[in-house]
Amino acid sequence: MSDTPIKKLNFKELASQLLPEGASFDSCLTCGLCSSGCPASGLENMDPRKFIRMAMLGMDEELSKTPWVWMCTQCKRCQHVCPMDIDIAQLVFAARSNWPKELKPSGIVRSCELTRSTSSTSAMGLPPEDFVFVVQDVLEEVRELQPQFKDMVAPMDKKGAFFFVNQNSREPMSEPDEMVPLWKIFNLVGADWTYSSKGWAAENFCMFSGDEEAWHQVIQQRVDAVNELGCRVWLNTECGHSYYTMWNAINRFGMEADFELANLVTYYARWIREGKLPVNADWNTAGLKFTVQDPCQIVRKAYGDEIAEDMRFVTKSLVGEENFIDMQPNRSANYCCGGGGGFLQAGMTDQRRIYGRRKFDQIAATGARYVLTPCHNCHSQMEDIGDHYGGGYHVVHFWTLICLSLGILGENERAYLGPELAALGL
Amino acid sequence: MKQNTRHIDTDLTIIGSGLAGVAASSFALRRNIRTAQAGNTGALAYTTGYFDLLGSLTGGSGASISDPWEGIRRLRESEPLHPLARIAEDDIRASFEEFITFLAECGITYGKPGDRNLDALTPGGTLKKTLSVPATMQAGVDAFARKAQCIIIDFKGLKGFSSRQIVANLKTDWPQLRHERISFPEIDQAEIYPEVLARALEVPANRAKLAEVVKGLATDAEAIGMPAVFGIHAPDRVMADLQDRIGRPIFEIPTMPPSVPGIRLRELFEQVFPQKGLTLIPQQKVVSTDLQANTIQLDLKDNYGPIHISSRAVILATGRFISGGLEAHMERITEPLFGLPVTQPASRDLWYRHQYMDNLGHDVHRAGIEVDEQFRPLDRDGKVVHHGLFGAGILLAHQDWIRGRCGAGIAVATAYKAVQAALSVLQPAAA
Ligand code: SF4
Ligand code: SF4
Repeated sequence: MSDTPIKKLNFKELASQLLPEGASFDSCLTCGLCSSGCPASGLENMDPRKFIRMAMLGMDEELSKTPWVWMCTQCKRCQHVCPMDIDIAQLVFAARSNWPKELKPSGIVRSCELTRSTSSTSAMGLPPEDFVFVVQDVLEEVRELQPQFKDMVAPMDKKGAFFFVNQNSREPMSEPDEMVPLWKIFNLVGADWTYSSKGWAAENFCMFSGDEEAWHQVIQQRVDAVNELGCRVWLNTECGHSYYTMWNAINRFGMEADFELANLVTYYARWIREGKLPVNADWNTAGLKFTVQDPCQIVRKAYGDEIAEDMRFVTKSLVGEENFIDMQPNRSANYCCGGGGGFLQAGMTDQRRIYGRRKFDQIAATGARYVLTPCHNCHSQMEDIGDHYGGGYHVVHFWTLICLSLGILGENERAYLGPELAALGL
Repeated sequence: MKQNTRHIDTDLTIIGSGLAGVAASSFALRRNIRTAQAGNTGALAYTTGYFDLLGSLTGGSGASISDPWEGIRRLRESEPLHPLARIAEDDIRASFEEFITFLAECGITYGKPGDRNLDALTPGGTLKKTLSVPATMQAGVDAFARKAQCIIIDFKGLKGFSSRQIVANLKTDWPQLRHERISFPEIDQAEIYPEVLARALEVPANRAKLAEVVKGLATDAEAIGMPAVFGIHAPDRVMADLQDRIGRPIFEIPTMPPSVPGIRLRELFEQVFPQKGLTLIPQQKVVSTDLQANTIQLDLKDNYGPIHISSRAVILATGRFISGGLEAHMERITEPLFGLPVTQPASRDLWYRHQYMDNLGHDVHRAGIEVDEQFRPLDRDGKVVHHGLFGAGILLAHQDWIRGRCGAGIAVATAYKAVQAALSVLQPAAA
């Protein structure tokens, strides 16, 4: 670390600007519910209640410098359990923003920089032409090897398509076959959709790095891309923070967006209800148990319990009602997995795993063999803590299970399934 | 981007998610009333888990009482306006029974309320008069009654619970009591919250590890007490399993807030209400209201955007100052949501007596709204504000629930009455 000084913030003043509707630190009852319910409590001596106390006492110097702010995943669970609705994550964001770039965890900063390095807005820096190529390449292979899908499409830059579908960079970059199940689903329901060569990527770590301007710019590029193609609905892939950063930014920065934002989970549920996705649980003859992870970014921080209900409806349709076991707590009260807030990118592996211990215990208590989650960060984190603490469970995307249930999951599309499902239905 | 207001059309809306609010919701569900509930969890997460009916008579010496039913009969003479004095004994008994049955169905068993108060243990090592305790705490009440040979264990780093202090305070009454301190397996932090341990004990493997340690300590104890950490969402099951592994009776003692029993209740309701068909808008406060001829309109918002509720009846159970049911201004106390008149001391000088610990309590703690016998709030002229608006819980005037140790009693019994009254408006034939 260099000697770059961290500017002193006035947290009390900040709070009066940031906290909505008269919620202030003064209303804090110092009850400790926030700290008790925060998985980061104790990391680097982090304590959300103390954060508030210190701000009240004007300990701005210490707060401006504390590494706590990088232990917090901005999951807003503290706010959810706080009787006074005090939003600590907002202050953490302000404190992060205030850190000079060279002192911030370099992994998060770098992810944000890469996002801005091409018009893809990909946090892995994948340029538009490479994305277009990979999509084309994979599509041709599927058409060739899976005759059932010889007419399948994966449109690019199709003007006026109903859905503008974004794509997490991880798939085109390192596991391209994982894109295919979703294409199959679109194909089956007859969705009018398109990818875009610009602004297609789903990640946005600029928000987590506390770089508001960069966050705004990235979202602007994405909004422009959707507006340009004239799509009706921006359909967010199975990713939490990409939804939240877009949705929140559009409101926060008052952007012109001529389209709706929607989440794949909502559409999975709708298509199943409408009979367009005739999934069932007949394949689960072994009675494999499943649980779901509610991503903070789309449940507690955005849609609330409505989408959580959809997720459970989809899950039960896929695995059988009796094979679904909820984690406790769940939905809006769920714990962050510990992969959010840029933790996975920040390089603080030990702390991240301690944070994730709570999630690990939650999963272990269900006894489930599989965890379903519509979020890439949750996915990676839960796999990692599962390996680290010896979980013996698998983490899967919804698209995998949907295609498995429909009997259309290809051989190369099963990277996340356990051995008992590796060959099912092939 | 368009932000659409979500509209909810319902028969009954309960505003407030403290004990009165959740009790009202449970009664409404039992009666198949289409119900929505909004409001911050308020003080629910702060409870010890004990349900007090009436622990002392506030008018007199403040001494604790053993027979709450006799106490209520006396209240009828000394404080006829006290909410408990206005409800028939049969209704109070029925309300507790129904609420406790509901909780048991949802996974938290409570002892059946009896004719007398129990002497329950507190985290400070004192005793508290209460009507009903969770099953996980019952063995402690029994052990104290028998002064059985017991051991109380605490955990290194755990906040708000010291077995040594408890034993020191109870030693005279309970000589056969010992204490021990152990490390909770695999959790070594300087400061640990009980919630963390309770979550850990939801996992069988962690229970096995704890049981191993505890077994070694308590070879001659008839029962073993621990801070309340026996799981969050299935405490009865967690306790039974742990007890099996340890091989002797165990029990919980509440910790200081934020304590597990309160978190248990909050999570239980958040979990089961939607499953049972209630529309729950968790953690959000209603911000504006509009009384119309046949409906009450409510506006609020959550993270996702604005929500509008149109409801035929409303139960206001917003509590007092902490939860925002009442607001204290320089000169006056107000009810912010419907602007209901608040019965209160004539001036701020009279809010508090000179002595903070004065046996008579402070008049500000008796402030609240007035209701008729149907639990409908009254305006300044003593007229019903709206035929579909009801009030319940500690928002009601003429009681000092903290000193009277009657918080749960007021919450549950008035919620019961308010729901019954709402039902008669909603389904005149059924009621
Ligand atoms: S939960 Fe809220 S009121 Fe309680 S200590 Fe935390 S911030 Fe303060
Ligand atoms: S936002 Fe999440 S991680 Fe951060 S303090 Fe709150 S509960 Fe803890």
